[in-house]
Amino acid sequence: MTDPDVLIVGAGPAGLAAACEIRRSGLSVEIVEQRSSIGGAIYRQPVAGVEALPQARAVQDRWRSLSAEFAAGGVPVRFACVFLGIDGAGKVLVEDRSAGMVRQLVVRAVIVAVGAVEKIEPRPGWQLAGITTAGGLQVMMKETGRPPAGRVLLAGSGPLLMAIAAQMTALGNPPVAIIEAGAPLRRLGRGLLLASHTGLLKEALGYLWTVRRARVPWLRGTQVRAISRTQGGIRALVSDGRNRETVFWVDRIGLHDGIRPNDFGLPPEAAGSATSPLILHAGDCREALGAEAAIADGRRAAARAIRSLTGKSSSSSHSIGKFRRAQAILSDLFAPAGMGADDRLMTLPDETVLCRCENRTIGDLKRLCGVRDPLTGREVKHNGRFAMGACQGRFCAAATAQLMARLRPDLASPGPKDLTGQRWPIRPVSIAALVAGTDQTDTILPDSKTTKET
Amino acid sequence: MSRRVFTFMGSDIAFRTGETIAAALDAAGVADLGRDAVGNDVRYFCGIGACQCCLALVDGMPGETCLIPAREGMTVEILEARR
Repeated sequence: MTDPDVLIVGAGPAGLAAACEIRRSGLSVEIVEQRSSIGGAIYRQPVAGVEALPQARAVQDRWRSLSAEFAAGGVPVRFACVFLGIDGAGKVLVEDRSAGMVRQLVVRAVIVAVGAVEKIEPRPGWQLAGITTAGGLQVMMKETGRPPAGRVLLAGSGPLLMAIAAQMTALGNPPVAIIEAGAPLRRLGRGLLLASHTGLLKEALGYLWTVRRARVPWLRGTQVRAISRTQGGIRALVSDGRNRETVFWVDRIGLHDGIRPNDFGLPPEAAGSATSPLILHAGDCREALGAEAAIADGRRAAARAIRSLTGKSSSSSHSIGKFRRAQAILSDLFAPAGMGADDRLMTLPDETVLCRCENRTIGDLKRLCGVRDPLTGREVKHNGRFAMGACQGRFCAAATAQLMARLRPDLASPGPKDLTGQRWPIRPVSIAALVAGTDQTDTILPDSKTTKET
Repeated sequence: MSRRVFTFMGSDIAFRTGETIAAALDAAGVADLGRDAVGNDVRYFCGIGACQCCLALVDGMPGETCLIPAREGMTVEILEARR
């Protein structure tokens, strides 16, 4: 097997679109994908014999057209392959889970298209079994054609909650309620700005209609304050802007506070050199703007790679400005009513888990931030174990950095990257798989920066 | 079509071809995958391999149940089973 000119990480919309463009240019190209099917989270494919989840016509058409284009191109996909990073010698490290080994690929360009992750703000009890991300519920519905069973509460903020509620309704189990932190109907004037994005607007109105008809309460300006597990199931304490409290007894809660790029630990974009490939990011991992933007951005990244490797430039433009404007309107529309996210962090009880992997709490961080000689983001990771665990900070680094900034207003505000750093492996990998991929002539080198430090 | 199953902690769990372990466990009503090394619940969470909260021992190796397709005859155990 020879390594391709261009390796694409992720078979979601950005990766597939990039692959189609590279294929047309005549360069050799392959995709590595962690799952055993293409589509990414947004186009998660149903298992055989299951109907696709009801979606807006435009969304279905987009997938039909992209998947047909991709199938016609015949680009090979290596499934069950997890991207770990790029080593100091410029080799791309990929864990081939079917073979049980880490492969080291030598390619001319890498396009990283690993999508988005959901933002989940910490709330007391969010770490319990039965609490998932709302997107996690959605991808499972897409895969199985079944709605999540039992009494389900959706909570957090943003249009995705409404979409999921509508899809659950269509599959026969509407949620108990949607707890929405924003107050979008009070900002309808701003919502009118969506008029120029007819596709989005039609999709949103369709979901809204389905949810209203099923009489699912859409409680705007409300938040889940605390979650606990009791004999009767999961207890969610919900309060509104005037601190009026309601208790919901449910079997599951789907949380969602927006999406953000899944850029944790990724090798930064870089021009190719004699010892290192051209590295580009594409789609939601570069800027989380949704599937349609990801397709355009995948094509943009491909055009850049083609230009860099062959000197040929394409005339087509792949602007994502339109999608950026639409997302800005949506975030404005769904901005949390009342206090902002960082103020809310300050109100959480000390025992609230902030970093689930290492079981570190708000109180633990307050103690770390109270020391006389202030710790850097990296020290908060190394000494305090925040963002140190198996998820590599994907679900705690942002909130930890935000709370650090609030606790130490006189110091420069840290960002998530100050905690997580950028180095491989970006996903847990077994030592056996690392060893199996190494032979005597071929040693995996640490990053050059790390070498200098040690 | 014959019933396809894998075992989870000694019980047969039915699945459809192409389904992940997590989806099959969910359909069987299994939401609790035991405790991890720091005592937190192990459970399905993000569904995209990012959070590492749904790990189980799959034929003895830890792996994300939300990524790994169920296979006939495989053995799935909670992380604590071999600690």
